[in-house]
Amino acid sequence: MSSFRVPLEESEPGCPGPCNPVDRRAFLFASGATMMSVTLPGLGWAQGQLAKYPRQKVAELGKVKTGEAVEFRYPWDHSNCRMVLVKLGQEGGGGVGPKKDIVAFSSLCPHMGWEIPSKKFYPEVGMAGPCPGHLTTFDLTRHGMVVSGHATQGLPQVVLEVEGENILAVGIFGLLFGFGDNKAKPG
Amino acid sequence: MELPVYVRNDRAPLPPADAKVQATVCAYCIVGCGFKVYTWPVGREGGPGAKDNAFGADFPTGFEGAWVSPNQHTTVLSGGKPHHCVIVADIEAQVVNPGGNHSIRGGTLALKCHNPNGPTQDRLRFPQARIGGRLARISWDTAIEVMAAVSKHVLAKHGEAAWGMKTYSYEFFENTYAISKLAFESIKTPAFAVHDKPSMSNDTAGMDDAGILTFSAAYEDFKSAEVLFLSGTDPYESKTVVFTEWMMRSKATMVFVVPRRTMGVAYAEANGGLFLQIIPGTDALLHMALGRIILENGWEDKEFLQQWVANAWEIDSGFGRGTRNTPWQWRTTWGDIGAADFASYKKWLLAHEPASLAFAAKETGIPKEKILKAAKLLSGAGKAKPKATFLFEKGNYWSNNYLNTASLASLALLCGSGNRPGRMVSRLGGHQRGWMGAAPYPREKSPERLPGRRKVELDLDRWVEKGQVRFLWVIGTTWTGAMTASQELARTVRKLTVENPHQPTSVNKDDIVAALIKRVESGGMVLVDSDLYPVNPLNTELADIVLPAAAWGEHDGSRCNGERRLRLYPKFYDAPGEAEPDWRAIARFAQAMGFSGYHWADGNAVFEEAARFSRGDVLDYYPLVWKANRDGKKGHESLRAMGTTGIQCPVRIEEGKLVGTVRLHDSTLKPADLEGPTTHAKWLTAFNTHSGKALLIKSPWELFADFYARIKPDALKGELWVTCGRINEAWQSGFDDLRKPYMAARWPGNFVEIHPDDAKARGVESGDMVRLTNDDVLIQTGGFNRVEADEIKFSWLEREGHIRIGKGQIEGVAMVTAAVPPGVLFTYFLYPDNPFNALAHRVVDPITNNYRYKLAKAKMIRIGESPYKKDRRFMTFQRRDFSG
Repeated sequence: MSSFRVPLEESEPGCPGPCNPVDRRAFLFASGATMMSVTLPGLGWAQGQLAKYPRQKVAELGKVKTGEAVEFRYPWDHSNCRMVLVKLGQEGGGGVGPKKDIVAFSSLCPHMGWEIPSKKFYPEVGMAGPCPGHLTTFDLTRHGMVVSGHATQGLPQVVLEVEGENILAVGIFGLLFGFGDNKAKPG
Repeated sequence: MELPVYVRNDRAPLPPADAKVQATVCAYCIVGCGFKVYTWPVGREGGPGAKDNAFGADFPTGFEGAWVSPNQHTTVLSGGKPHHCVIVADIEAQVVNPGGNHSIRGGTLALKCHNPNGPTQDRLRFPQARIGGRLARISWDTAIEVMAAVSKHVLAKHGEAAWGMKTYSYEFFENTYAISKLAFESIKTPAFAVHDKPSMSNDTAGMDDAGILTFSAAYEDFKSAEVLFLSGTDPYESKTVVFTEWMMRSKATMVFVVPRRTMGVAYAEANGGLFLQIIPGTDALLHMALGRIILENGWEDKEFLQQWVANAWEIDSGFGRGTRNTPWQWRTTWGDIGAADFASYKKWLLAHEPASLAFAAKETGIPKEKILKAAKLLSGAGKAKPKATFLFEKGNYWSNNYLNTASLASLALLCGSGNRPGRMVSRLGGHQRGWMGAAPYPREKSPERLPGRRKVELDLDRWVEKGQVRFLWVIGTTWTGAMTASQELARTVRKLTVENPHQPTSVNKDDIVAALIKRVESGGMVLVDSDLYPVNPLNTELADIVLPAAAWGEHDGSRCNGERRLRLYPKFYDAPGEAEPDWRAIARFAQAMGFSGYHWADGNAVFEEAARFSRGDVLDYYPLVWKANRDGKKGHESLRAMGTTGIQCPVRIEEGKLVGTVRLHDSTLKPADLEGPTTHAKWLTAFNTHSGKALLIKSPWELFADFYARIKPDALKGELWVTCGRINEAWQSGFDDLRKPYMAARWPGNFVEIHPDDAKARGVESGDMVRLTNDDVLIQTGGFNRVEADEIKFSWLEREGHIRIGKGQIEGVAMVTAAVPPGVLFTYFLYPDNPFNALAHRVVDPITNNYRYKLAKAKMIRIGESPYKKDRRFMTFQRRDFSG
């Protein structure tokens, strides 16, 4: 089972984003923490399974403006894969760009799959929501963590990288609503 | 304990088509959403095709479809073998959470299960005894024999009141029936209290005295109401699905009375509702002012009052409530607060100065125009009467217990609420309803009296503080953290136990018994604790004997939710080690004591025996067991077949079929003729009084004013109000949440909400660590025997030297937010190691022996930065009431 590690310390120089190979420090999530969840290898999902996430261009640095959301689909062209990229104008966890303020998230609430429209992504506040279904809100500056509400997972965060002027989606933290495995091709 | 690591997964195992499926109900809040548990042996998984998974759904699924979040999966042992375990809300649920709605708590139920390789691996697995200060493993037999030997000695030499219990009230009928059978039938001890109170008094006595049973409403009433008055709770934050599924789907205008703006309040305000931001402790003044405005303008529901409120003759002739010597009887006939007919209640309220709009507005901090607007909304202001439902919870009744509940009942009755669909008065609840009393509390043995020689339920904490308890068995509660002046209580218990010179030095049973009996004779106390986990300081530092309990999902249990819906909570995996359901521990002990009637073969045997004792009560399920047995089935099996739907109590039989009861006091209900073991209590269709009519109870502010004046924070000294409550992402003491990596990342520490003005004055920013201290924690030490009428007052206790001053301090992470008003801090109510209650006064409401938990004060200082201020993987300091 693939597990994405949490991002590196944001303060680390040259950190390109949370996509580096697993770093032990990343597991030291809480001071003194020693336990980690045990996962078991999956079986039977071989068909249509990606070995790793695609690298997909989703925006260009010079064209992304604070407050203007960019919508795209990733990692599949499927309605559950609707993503929203925003330039927060303030640093965000996992953010890219000179100010580390460009972040992208799934727009499906991981509570019951309601869509949080891109107009409900508020860069200046750094929040998304309330979800129109049951009012869950998410902190876009803190990896999509639930601020208040019911989702049993933070808003899945798209792992971004910058290559020249291009902003690439290269992975996802968290399971997309409706999926059993992000990397399994929808039938 | 160390916090677990949260790693976000991008896949979750799907149950294969042949996975075992069981219906269950959430372990947490009062709402009791229906869930499905899927278990199957480790080594394989289901697939994304509909025929390859247990949901019969093609993945990816669509909107509100079946889905397993990574935090809904764990690994458990079943029959000793590793099994995948997936727990998701029941998307086929017909009631409570139709469509599979759920909270973040219920949504992460899988993570609470004992996983020997996960953060829940520190479950208590074997009985232990404290030998030389450390816990050592012993056998069940040794533990029980020691407990029985010491108990026999204590009972013979010091009497029943020296043998006490402090237990949960809700962890399944099977357990609470066994507990109450032991305490009240076999031992007959008055030294007993449940997890959230110091005594066995009623929670909301003012409401009970009015004749209103506090879980009378059905969730459909919250949908059909036109106005919802929500006092002392935001159900969005604590009873999630009752808000998101029922209230949000109604067209009702919501009136919130809470000190803190939360998401529910934000939603109400965005939808034409009203936010009455109240200064803690002043609810009774608001209720009375609202009632007075309604009466002054003639907006009361005259027809309802005529028909459904007792008149003078009905009260005086004893048909309201008689003049006998039980608490509700003396309270309702006591001149100061007693029942009044409409004319005399009106006369009293119009003359009661604290009920004036000017006084109420000043003390509650709510602008006059908002109070006036609320009065119009609730009453219809002389036009068509809206269907108003009044709902309340602990912010209301645990700040000024009797007066708040009595005044709210009277206000609701003036508005014509209490006995019709959409027009109900009800508690919303905290935990589920799992108490099944085997025998009544032995009030006659209580050493505590109020003026007029009225015996009242004993205040157990004060009794311990006085050194009168020599043996105490705590079951499933933190006790010290959950009670007020927590750190002072823990200090007292420490002196009585581990600091006593008499300590066992070997695991030899006779040595343990000898040492503990010497302790008892030296004035000390022997402490037993049954729990799931190590709990600081109760069983890690203080208890002499620690017993491991089986939890939700590890044995078959039953209980009701907030609309009295009874369901089975089945066993679906193995309890760790030698952990057993508490009913079995009670049975072992009772047998060792020589008591008869404890030879139960299984949980169903307890369930069926308990059914007989539910007869005639609100949670009467005897007809279910009676019919099951007649049909050759067991009670548990009959309930299991009802799945997540269950049946609403009291259960009745009509035309040979089981029928549930939607609401109590239902004047529109036409019950069929009595059939089989069905009973029709008066409160089924009328109010819970002798006449069936409700009572207007007076609530004179003077009974509370002296205490309130004494505890008000002094701004000149830098003191602030501190109050507390629940948040969605935590349950009780966090015993599960801190072991759920996902939840622990959200709340790795306690929080303190602070208004920007107060924060600025103290140099505090969001993410800073703050310390709250109160060196003026009032602790009642005496007053067990009161004689004259004025001895009921706090000023008498203070004058007579029955109050000592203690200290308390807690720490938390600051969240600067305008959600709280200036001068008021808000924190979680029971974060372990930093329990809010450490700051709260341990002085009971004299009328009911309940604490005023919500009313604490403190000085606040900044002590540095928390690691979460800059580390974006933990906590968030965004507003919880953000509405876009």
